[in-house]
Amino acid sequence: MTIRLLFAFIALSVSFGIRVHAAEIAFEPNSALPIVYVNVAIKAGYVTDPAGQSGLTNIMGEMLLRGTKTRVKEQIDLALDQMGARLEVETRAESVILRGAVLSSQLEPFLSLVDEILTQPVFPEDEIRKLKSEIISGIEEELGRDPSLASRRFIKFLFLDHPYGKPVLGTINDVRNLTRPAILGHYERLVRDPYILVVGTGNASEERIVRWTEALASKRKVSDAEALPKITRPTEAPQRRVLLVDKPERTQTQINIGQIGIKMTDDDFFPLYLGNYAFGGGSFLSRLMTEIRSKRGWSYGANSGFRFGTQPRSWLAHLFPASKDSPAALEFTLKMIQDLKDKGLSLEEYNFAKRSIVNGAGFMYDTPKKRVENKLLERTLDLPDGFMQSYAANIDRVSLERVNSSLKDYLRPDRLAIAVLGTAKNLKEPIARAAGVPVEKVEVVPYTQE
Amino acid sequence: MLGSESMKSTFSIFASFLFLLHLTSGISGCASRDVRIGGTPETFQHQTVPLVGAFKADRYNFGNGLRLIVVENHSSPTFAYQTWFRVGSRDERKGRTGLAHLFEHMMFKGTKNHKEGEFDRILEEAGVEGENAFTSRDYTTYVQELPKDKLELIAKLESDRMINLIVDDKAFKTETEVVQNERRFRNENSPDGLMYQELFEVAFTRHPYHWPIIGYQEDLNRMTSEDARQFYRSYYSPNHATIVVTGDVDAEEVARTVQKYYGGIPAQPSPIRDIPAEPAQKVKRAKLMKLNIQVEKLLLGCHTPEVTHEDIPALSVLQAILSGGKSSRLHRALVETGISSSVESDDMDNKDPTLFIIGTNLQSGKRASQAEEVIRKELNRISREPIPELELERAKNKLNFGFYESMDGNSSRAYFIGHYEAVANNFEIGLAIHKRVQAVTALEAQSVARRYLGPENCSAIIGVKRNSK
Repeated sequence: MTIRLLFAFIALSVSFGIRVHAAEIAFEPNSALPIVYVNVAIKAGYVTDPAGQSGLTNIMGEMLLRGTKTRVKEQIDLALDQMGARLEVETRAESVILRGAVLSSQLEPFLSLVDEILTQPVFPEDEIRKLKSEIISGIEEELGRDPSLASRRFIKFLFLDHPYGKPVLGTINDVRNLTRPAILGHYERLVRDPYILVVGTGNASEERIVRWTEALASKRKVSDAEALPKITRPTEAPQRRVLLVDKPERTQTQINIGQIGIKMTDDDFFPLYLGNYAFGGGSFLSRLMTEIRSKRGWSYGANSGFRFGTQPRSWLAHLFPASKDSPAALEFTLKMIQDLKDKGLSLEEYNFAKRSIVNGAGFMYDTPKKRVENKLLERTLDLPDGFMQSYAANIDRVSLERVNSSLKDYLRPDRLAIAVLGTAKNLKEPIARAAGVPVEKVEVVPYTQE
Repeated sequence: MLGSESMKSTFSIFASFLFLLHLTSGISGCASRDVRIGGTPETFQHQTVPLVGAFKADRYNFGNGLRLIVVENHSSPTFAYQTWFRVGSRDERKGRTGLAHLFEHMMFKGTKNHKEGEFDRILEEAGVEGENAFTSRDYTTYVQELPKDKLELIAKLESDRMINLIVDDKAFKTETEVVQNERRFRNENSPDGLMYQELFEVAFTRHPYHWPIIGYQEDLNRMTSEDARQFYRSYYSPNHATIVVTGDVDAEEVARTVQKYYGGIPAQPSPIRDIPAEPAQKVKRAKLMKLNIQVEKLLLGCHTPEVTHEDIPALSVLQAILSGGKSSRLHRALVETGISSSVESDDMDNKDPTLFIIGTNLQSGKRASQAEEVIRKELNRISREPIPELELERAKNKLNFGFYESMDGNSSRAYFIGHYEAVANNFEIGLAIHKRVQAVTALEAQSVARRYLGPENCSAIIGVKRNSK
């Protein structure tokens, strides 16, 4: 069946992959509003944190904003606010992104400041001390936010000792012990021209951004960059496991169920993307939403999805039922995963998912800001150029048989990692029964334990 | 006491009226005319208003009270379609709190023409993006983005559920369960949610902003499908709605399409809303909450006027001075000193008098009471000492940038327009506030700090670890 590709005619003007020194740049001019977005990505993220130094990449990125050879933190803050600009650090598993946005009238001083921040940071000791205190408090504050806490514990549980399981912010102990030499060394290793990627859009000329990137890259040029450790393919435990994160007085649980994921470049990616869409991938009519929310009212939300990296990351289903309904909701969800493996999608589900994805695919790249995000993803995850715009055509080619065979091969219900955040004294036995795991095999940890 | 409340209220309305005149007098380029579209017998008013940059807005007022605002943007073959009903939790009554939000969920159920699930199925197959809805204190909004050739489809579906919704007992019961789970998620199991709810309960003693948008558990338990049906009849009619369409559309074609599908839906009498005014707060209020948290938290809320009040632009500037960026006063006084890990403030803009909120998360071992002292000291300082011009300029630059960001993208532009249409009855008020912000003087910013952020006008909610002393 061929579905009309509604968005095939969108004109795209992002420049793809201009190389300046070793760095790369992609900028899409857009004069609709007087603002400019400039993102500087370093293609190495928290997976490069050495053992016992979790949080190193994040603190290195944040420290860039806290002092240069000519400005202390206060002066940087004042300069940015004076320009009406925003400059933030986002640390991902395989990249650190300095996200900048500024009124176009202030572009020149902004670019000058960003250049200084990236090429002349001094990592003052007193700022390191202050930042560590803020980060540690942030980690403690997260203990009050169940969804975020549950997600972090699940990821660690799923990946065991693999770097994908590291916490972005680090553990309290590790952060406390990070030193200035370690942070400085990490900067020297990571912020080098082969790893620099500049992606942006807005009311500026591409030529100006290219020139700026050229100057920036030349200051971080290295003839022989130290090779960063290659990330290995994660492996999963050979049996189903259950973690119960014990937090008192919960009237609701956070349930995460998942397994190791796939790569976006795997042959099975598009069939599994379609299969997941029908199961729980964002549609209000997915199986999970229909069965868990619409029919039974068990959870406000129920969804599933992949996270991607240069190696397979995760696939997980997430729901948050009332504590009283949690064992039944867990048992039912596990049965649904088993059914998905055994029976696959129906023709009706397949057609619906396919039409929805193909007709909506244009929204993946309909604005300059989305195209910028796509470019960041493509470049940091080693995807082919234009990958994010290939969804409609690729999904259109996927058959129902292929979807169902991919689901059958991929899903491993007997090896699922299940993490439940809730009050253990009421839940341990019923959760063990629902998961089909002996109660003594359920690992219970206090929510405050890292 | 009652007399003084009444006077304050009268003054407030008068001040708002003057402010409106002042704001709208600065808007130029409006062209208003009566037009006939598509050969229909209906006439309606059409007006074109400059929006921002190259964008302009076309406003259409229909005979049945429906408002339509269209912003053309042909940069990609998509459009955002948002339906804003001017009803929120402020329109509820005691004992039926949460009804506006619960009803929002019911709008995704079946109609006389489409059985349950069909609305979602048709839109998803059409490639809808971001289909959702949200309820606030003042409004309820339904949002979608679609490929450009789906205008007729969405107008047909949205107009259908404006008039033909079926609220049956079974669907109502299941959806009440879902909302109770949403309540557990947003409030019961969230320290921030609990503190936020407490702040409004403490700050508002009479006005409906007192209760949480999601409602109280006991009210959700006692509500029936008949309550929902009555609510639907009262508020879901063209004269309570504004449709905002932004994107790759032709404004006149949108007007024709809306006329075709909504033109036959009659206006309904507006319910008599006897919303009590909030009496002036005379003394500071405070509440200590013992929560399942590891670091202390503080929420401070001070009474401020409604969105159309003349002091709103100065309050925005004050907000930016206090917490807009890392060079802001509260960031420097709390985060840079190691007391807090973060601080934010929000100059809320609501239909009725509302709150200016300051929230901070403390660092390990630090006390919320200490943060409150620091905040109070900063508020006193800004009330006493002149604000330097450079600092004022910084604040305005921040706000200017934020305004342009809020106009970036079809959905964002539609949100800006819909929000001000709902809370201020006119989106031009939002534009005028932006314009007026740039003219706010240091004295005006200082003056609103004195007028609204004094301790007697504020309530503090302190969140501490459950077993702390």
